[in-house]
Amino acid sequence: MLEEKFINELGQGTRKAYSQLIDDYEQKVFATCISFVPNKEDAEDIAQEVFVEVFKSIKKFKARSKLSTWIYRITTNKCLEFIRKKNAKKRFAYMQSIFGNEIPFDKTNYFTEFNHPGVLLENKEKSATIFKAINQLPESQKVVFTLHKVDGKSYNEISEITEKSMSSIESLMFRAKKNLQQQLEYYYKNEV
Amino acid sequence: MNTNNNIAEEVKSTFESIDHIQDIKTSPFFKDKTMRKLFDAEVEEDKIVFSWFTPKLQLASLVCVIALNIFAFIQLKSTTYDSNVSNFAENYSLSANSETSILN
Repeated sequence: MLEEKFINELGQGTRKAYSQLIDDYEQKVFATCISFVPNKEDAEDIAQEVFVEVFKSIKKFKARSKLSTWIYRITTNKCLEFIRKKNAKKRFAYMQSIFGNEIPFDKTNYFTEFNHPGVLLENKEKSATIFKAINQLPESQKVVFTLHKVDGKSYNEISEITEKSMSSIESLMFRAKKNLQQQLEYYYKNEV
Repeated sequence: MNTNNNIAEEVKSTFESIDHIQDIKTSPFFKDKTMRKLFDAEVEEDKIVFSWFTPKLQLASLVCVIALNIFAFIQLKSTTYDSNVSNFAENYSLSANSETSILN
């Protein structure tokens, strides 16, 4: 009942309601963003876009799920959209460099500069390695693994956010771990 | 075998590195920036009606209007309407200066 009232206030677009929304969700949304995109500036930009999307689409929200679930769904989609765009840009720059056009090409194979202030210095290299490996996973596995292992969400929450059954989530998680294991083994075998 | 053990160890510690990531906070002005973006975006929505009329299009339209005016002005100057009318009048003896009367 309280949530319904709050959603109505959001629908009316009052400053007070959005101030409350940002107070309640800024850290949670940002935490999810930085789990997908380990760069503080990029993650903040995406988090802002999430609130703008909530502002624009709140009237379309049918309350079939909890407000928080809907916001996390928007967050996940925004992060994936960002990663897709950045990966496409990288591929385009790579193609340009092959065809001899002099566009400065960033030779790293990751979509963003790794800049996660929450990563301890001694773990920085290993964290960067696993984030790169996660980026190689198929999207559905990437979402489930990131939300569970990096962002710390339960299978139940992930099931609601992704609108998939619990068994699908478990299966995706299993495959994600297996693929990551293989990728990391290959990486460390060829490292030296 | 030893190498395989090392690799397994490396893989394990790489997986574990995720568990040691600390929570971080958004920057202090995040809320202000977001609020500004939300409510400035609302104002921009009103402006969006004429957003297609870009400065380039505005300039092109202005040039078209000026060119059309110049063309119309030149046409007006060089119009042969008056001479055509006086020729017609003369041919059919309607002109005031060529008016003749049998009484004269």
